[in-house]
Amino acid sequence: MDLNYSADDRAFREKTRRWLEANTPTDDLKTLAERKAWHRKLYEAGYVGMLWPKEYGGWGATAMQQAIVQDEMARIGAPPAINGLGIGFIGPTIIVHGTEAQKQRYLKKMLTAEEIWCQLYSEPNAGSDLAGLKTRAEDAGDHFVVNGQKIWTSSGPIADWGILLCRTDPKAAKHKGISCVLLNMRQPGVEVRPLKQITGHSLFSEVFMTNARADKSDLIGKLDEGWAIAQTTLGYERGGNSLGRVTRYAIAFRQLVRATKQLRRNGRPLIEDPVVRAKMGRLYAELEVQRYAGLRVLSALNKGDSPGAASSITKLSYTEFEKRYYDTALEILGPWGQMMTAREEFEEIDTSSGEAGTWATAFLWARAGTIYSGSSEIQKNIIGERVLGLPKEVRADRLRS
Amino acid sequence: MDFSFTPDQTLLKNSARAFLDEHCKPATVRLLWDDARGESESMWKEMAQLGWLGLSLPEEHGGSGLGMVESALLLEELGRAAYPGPFWPTMLAAAAVTDHGTEVQKKRWLGAIATGEARAALALLDADLDWNPDAVATRADKTSTGWQLTGLKRYVAWGHVASVLLVPARTPDGVSLFLVEPGASGIRWTPMMNMDPGTRLADLTLDRVPVRSDDLLGAPGAAAPALHQLLRRGAVGAAAEMLGAARRCLDMAVGYAKVREQFGQPIGSFQAIRHKCADMLLETENSHSAVYYAAWALDAGAEDAGTATSIAKSYVGDASRKVCGEAIQVHGGIGFTWEYDLHMYFKRAKALEAQYGDADFHRELILADVAG
Ligand SMILES: Cc1cc2nc3c(=O)[nH]c(=O)nc-3n(C[C@H](O)[C@H](O)[C@H](O)COP(=O)(O)OP(=O)(O)OC[C@H]3O[C@@H](n4cnc5c(N)ncnc54)[C@H](O)[C@@H]3O)c2cc1C
Repeated sequence: MDLNYSADDRAFREKTRRWLEANTPTDDLKTLAERKAWHRKLYEAGYVGMLWPKEYGGWGATAMQQAIVQDEMARIGAPPAINGLGIGFIGPTIIVHGTEAQKQRYLKKMLTAEEIWCQLYSEPNAGSDLAGLKTRAEDAGDHFVVNGQKIWTSSGPIADWGILLCRTDPKAAKHKGISCVLLNMRQPGVEVRPLKQITGHSLFSEVFMTNARADKSDLIGKLDEGWAIAQTTLGYERGGNSLGRVTRYAIAFRQLVRATKQLRRNGRPLIEDPVVRAKMGRLYAELEVQRYAGLRVLSALNKGDSPGAASSITKLSYTEFEKRYYDTALEILGPWGQMMTAREEFEEIDTSSGEAGTWATAFLWARAGTIYSGSSEIQKNIIGERVLGLPKEVRADRLRS
Repeated sequence: MDFSFTPDQTLLKNSARAFLDEHCKPATVRLLWDDARGESESMWKEMAQLGWLGLSLPEEHGGSGLGMVESALLLEELGRAAYPGPFWPTMLAAAAVTDHGTEVQKKRWLGAIATGEARAALALLDADLDWNPDAVATRADKTSTGWQLTGLKRYVAWGHVASVLLVPARTPDGVSLFLVEPGASGIRWTPMMNMDPGTRLADLTLDRVPVRSDDLLGAPGAAAPALHQLLRRGAVGAAAEMLGAARRCLDMAVGYAKVREQFGQPIGSFQAIRHKCADMLLETENSHSAVYYAAWALDAGAEDAGTATSIAKSYVGDASRKVCGEAIQVHGGIGFTWEYDLHMYFKRAKALEAQYGDADFHRELILADVAG
C-alpha cells in the first residue's frame, strides 16, 4: 500500500495545472460554438480522449493521468469538455466493434467535437428493461428504414449523430433480433423535441423517427447481435472521473462552510450550532470516503485490473451519496439554499453535458444520477447477482422465454 | 499510487485468518464468554509466538517494527473472529511506551509485552465521559517519592488481566501519563457486565494511589499530544475490528440468502433481501477504503492523517452497526437466537463503536479540522 502519487504523476499534475491556469477561459462560455472551441483546445493539449489509442486520435494516457486532469479541471473550475457520451461510450464501442471505415469516418470528429453524438437507447416503454425496445429498422437493400420513438435523449437537440438500438427481427426472442446502428440526426425523418427537465433546462429530448434512413455501412457489429454490443457499451469504465467528481463535492463543501459562517439563525452563525456541525462532520466524512474509494478504483485500473460488475458498487455509492449530500446541504441552508440564484459561483455540476447552477440546481440534479446509466435498483440487482452470486429473481419475461 | 496489499501483508492476513479459524472458533468465543477471566492464556501465548504481540514494536525490543496497516489487517481478522481479549489496548499502551518511554520503561515493558508475559489496559475516560484528552479530571499530586493519583476512571477494558495501566491524570503542569500497577493500594475495581461479554469492563476508583516518579511516562504536563495520537491509532484499530465483524456478518447473510427457501424460492432471489445485501456490501467496501486509507495515512504521516482516522472511526461505526444489524434481519428468527453466532459480531461492533471516541466526538473533530 502506498497512496502517494508517483513522481511522474506529480510532474504531470504540475504541468496540467500550469496549462489550465494559462488557458482556462475567464468568461462563461455561453454558446455551443464557444464550448466547441474550448473543447478543441483541451483536445489539442492532450486532455480529451486521453484513454483512446493513439491510432484513433487519442493519447494513450493512463487512467491516473485522466483522473488528474479531471481533478485539476474541477479544482480550477474549468468548463468541462463536451461530447461526453460520444467520447466515453460510443467511440470506445466503435473502436471495439466497428469496421475500419467507420473508425476513419467517425472517431476523429467525435474527439474534436466537430460532430456531437447522442445515445438513442431508451424508449417510452423500454427503460430499465431496455431489451423491450420497439423501434423498427427494416431492410431496404443498401440501407435500413427506421420508425419509432426514443426518449430522454441527452444532447438530442445539438446532436449530429446518434448510436441507435433498434429491432431488426421482430419475430426473434426479446434479447435477440436487436441491432446497433449509427443514425444521422440531421435528416428529414428525424425530429427532436426538447423536454424540459426538473431544473428548468432542456438537456434531454424526445426523438421521433419516421422513415428515417440508416446506411447499412453504419451497422455496428453483426445484424441482430446488437444486444451484446449494448452490454459492452454500458459496461465501459468511468473510473477516470472519480477524482474530479469528488473535487467538485469538496469545492461545494468549502462553499457550504462559507455560507454557514455568514447565514445566522437563533442569533448565531449556523456553523456554531452543534446540530449543524454534526451534520456537516458526517457529510465531510462521507465525501472523503468517496475519495478513498475512488483512489482504490484508480489503483486497480492502474494495475490493469478491470472492476467489471464491481463498478456498480462505485456508481451506486456516489450517486446515492450525492443525493444525501445535497439533501443535507439544503436542510442546513434553509430557504436561502433554494434560491435559484444563491450559488452562482458554483461552476459546473457533474453531468455529461454540464449545467451551470446553484445549490438548488445541484440538489435537483442529484436526483438524475440514481436513474440514468442503470438506476440504483438495477445496480443492486447486478451487485446481488454478479458480485455476491445470489440467485436470480423470478421474472415474468424469463418465465416466458 | 497503490491501494492493494503487498504480498507480505496478504500473507499476514491469510495466516491470521487460518490461525483464528482454528483457534478462535465461535465455540471458543462462547466458552470465553462464560469464563470468569474472559480471555485465553494459551491463545495469548500463541499470538506471541506468531509475532502478533510484537508486530508494531521496535525490533530492538523483540518486535517486528511494522506499521498501522499491518495492525489493521490483523485487527480486521480478530474482529471477524469476535476475538475476546486485551490485544488492542495492550498494543496501544506499548506504542505509547515506545514513543514516550525512558529506556528503563521500554526495557521493563516492551519485551514482556512482545513475549506475552504482560498485558496492558487503558484508563482514558473520566467521570464526565469526555474523550477529549484535555478534559482529564483525575488528579496527580506530587509526593516525596513521586505522585499520588485520585479520581474515577470509567469503563476500563481488561483491567483485571493487565500487568500495567496507562492512566492520564492532571498535574499542576497539565495532563500527564502514568504507568500504574493494577493492584496498587488505593485502587478499587467495580466490574460490570457489558452487552458484549467479549469486552470486559470495570470502573476504576483511584484514592491517593501512590505512583513512583519513574512511572511517569513522558514529561509532566505534556501528555495531550501522546493521548491524541493514542486515540487516533485506537480509533483506526477499532474501525478495522468493526470492519472484520461487518464482513463476517455480510458473508453469513449472503450465504444464508442463497440456501434459505420461502415461497418456493431462495430468499436471496427476493429483491428486498438482495438489495439489502448489495447495500451491506457497499457499506463494507467503503469501510475497507476508510480503514486502510487512515491506516496508511498514519504510517505515512500524511497531512490529513488526523481527519482520516476520525473519518474511519465515525464512518465504520455507523456502517458496521448497519451491516451487522441487517444480517440479523436477513436471517429472520434464527438471527435473534443466542445459539446462532451472528450476535457475537453484532455486539462486538456495537461495543467498539463506543470506544476510542464515538461517532459524534469524531465528527466534531472532523469539522473542527476542516472548517474551524
Ligand atoms: C438526466 C437523464 C439523462 C438521460 N439520458 C439518456 C440518454 O442520453 N439516452 C438514453 O437512451 N437514455 C437516457 N436516459 C434514460 C435512462 O437511461 C432511463 O431513465 C433509465 O434507464 C430508467 O428507465 P425509465 O426511465 O423508463 O424508468 P423505469 O425503467 O420505468 O423505472 C422506474 C422505476 O422502476 C425501477 N425498476 C425498473 N426495473 C426494475 C427491476 N428489474 N427491479 C427493481 N426495480 C426496477 C427503477 O429502478 C425505477 O425506480 C436519461 C435519463 C435521465 C434521468
